[in-house]
Amino acid sequence: MTHVSLQELTKVYPGATAPALDRLSLEIASGELTALLGPSGCGKTTTMKMIAGLLPVSSGEINFDGKSILREKPENRNVVMVFQNYLLFPYMSVADNIGFGLKMRKLPKDEIARRVAEILALVRLPDLGARKPKELSGGQQQRVALARALIVQPRVLLLDEPLSNLDAHLRFEMRDLIRNLQQEMGITTIFVTHDQEEAVVLADRIALILDGRLKQYDSAEAFYRRPIDEATARFFGSHNFVGGAVSDGAFDSPLGRIVLPNGIADGPGKLTFRPENLRIGPAAESENRLTATVLSKIYLGTQTRLRVQVGDEVIEVLANPNDATEIAEGETAPISLPAPALWVVR
Amino acid sequence: MSDRWKIILLLTPAMSVIVLLFLGGLALGLMRSFNYMPIIGLINPNFDAYLAVFTSSEFYLSFLLTFHIAFTSTAISCVLAIGAALLLRRTFVGRSLINFLFQLNLTVPHLVGAVGILYLFSQSGSFARLANEFGMIERPSDFPALVFDPFAIGIILQYVWKEVPFIGVIVLANMQSLGEDYESVARSLGANKWQSFIHVLLPLIIPGVLSASVIVFAFTFGAFEIPAILGANFPAALPVLAFRKFTDVDLAARPEAMAMAMVIALLSAVMIFFYIRYTRQKFRN
Repeated sequence: MTHVSLQELTKVYPGATAPALDRLSLEIASGELTALLGPSGCGKTTTMKMIAGLLPVSSGEINFDGKSILREKPENRNVVMVFQNYLLFPYMSVADNIGFGLKMRKLPKDEIARRVAEILALVRLPDLGARKPKELSGGQQQRVALARALIVQPRVLLLDEPLSNLDAHLRFEMRDLIRNLQQEMGITTIFVTHDQEEAVVLADRIALILDGRLKQYDSAEAFYRRPIDEATARFFGSHNFVGGAVSDGAFDSPLGRIVLPNGIADGPGKLTFRPENLRIGPAAESENRLTATVLSKIYLGTQTRLRVQVGDEVIEVLANPNDATEIAEGETAPISLPAPALWVVR
Repeated sequence: MSDRWKIILLLTPAMSVIVLLFLGGLALGLMRSFNYMPIIGLINPNFDAYLAVFTSSEFYLSFLLTFHIAFTSTAISCVLAIGAALLLRRTFVGRSLINFLFQLNLTVPHLVGAVGILYLFSQSGSFARLANEFGMIERPSDFPALVFDPFAIGIILQYVWKEVPFIGVIVLANMQSLGEDYESVARSLGANKWQSFIHVLLPLIIPGVLSASVIVFAFTFGAFEIPAILGANFPAALPVLAFRKFTDVDLAARPEAMAMAMVIALLSAVMIFFYIRYTRQKFRN
């Protein structure tokens, strides 16, 4: 159980003009599972490598339980990184791969064998110890890589895009396995992903990094309900933004005066709302009720995607298919914007 | 025309060279090694030439010397090449220039290198004169015998000078294609730099090192010109010994030269077989 603190962590690669990571500060509680979320090249993997000691830090501080680890060599940090492509040693058996960390710590052979057998059972691969990595499926290789990391009982576990190389079925399975093992063993875990859905499902808290800078560090729910700015909201799949200003608990905009939830400060900004939170057709409520013209309608199975126009503003709606049955393209329909689903970004 | 015929036709020129010149020469040499040389009246094949080779103490001394030359040159070249590749894969100012200089002598012929060694390291060479000039030795002839010496130091120096970049280039390409992630995994699992090199990087690059070193070993075991220029008169390396027999004024000595050539080829093949087997087992376990 280790508390991880990153303070103003910065990385500038030799010859680069802009930092790959710019003054990142995070406080990760003991046993917490944190996601570093962002598009490719935003500095996520750089952050992980600096924590693991595999990349030198340009400036800033990394503390474990209040003590700096910057002077510690990678092998002394007890931070294990699981790479995206697993990187199992191809010439070793599965058991030797898993026992590698213990062998480096010079543990007796029988102790290593016992612990390898235990962890193989834990990751549900009890009979595959003698196989070579190339004889395993992608999902099995991922489990071996995870077992190889967990067996040394690291202070911090780093997972680089842990699910990206797996097909949809295996993703669900691995997601549950990672979450269960992490909670069972209580290891502070940081994982990198570009997939917001993966971050939401797995992480206790998410750090969104865009262009090397931390945008927001919060719970998954906060990213959906209270995104810090338009870029953050867009990254999480919101496309509805309407310009205007807040005054006295309502938002004055081309849509009219929209009633807001409590606690939003006055001033100019952009009203944002998620497409799945809007009500349309028979489901439309009286609060913040508007009349919209339906531009397009696409049936998606569990939802119906509609693009509607209110005044000059085009709004995206994800509706229950039952509510959208009677709505046709080119016709008008009532929509409502429930106040608890509204937020203003500045 | 079917694909099969196309392949056969395309391979014919290269295969003709191999079959006629290499296998033809080998067959002819084999016949002569069995004392079958109708041109000088030897028409009853026998093992006399092999008997003469295997009962000669000079042959065994030459074999030991040749093995020493090939093994030591290959081992030193491999170690230095791996070290050089480890340095050259890093990013530093002037890396391209250093890389260029490192590979430069790949283009220099062995003979030119041998003459260079002769000029630099012989007892009348530049280093001997410099040492004498600076009062380190009384006479240039006091300089340690590094050329024409019984331990074949000059020959080994020449081979190492020439083969380090050859093996180095192969190992460097191998390391660059692997990247550093495997070592990073090892480091994060608790291996120090040395452990990650021994347990992870070395087993990964061993196939490349093996391929390159087998070529170097086979070449240095069978090469004639460098031991002929830089080697001692006695014992001579096996190829030099074979050449001397081959150029003997007595044509009757030729079967012995051929027997020796066959033995060299066989010994090379056997040693390479065991070398590959041993190193593969050693590093893979």
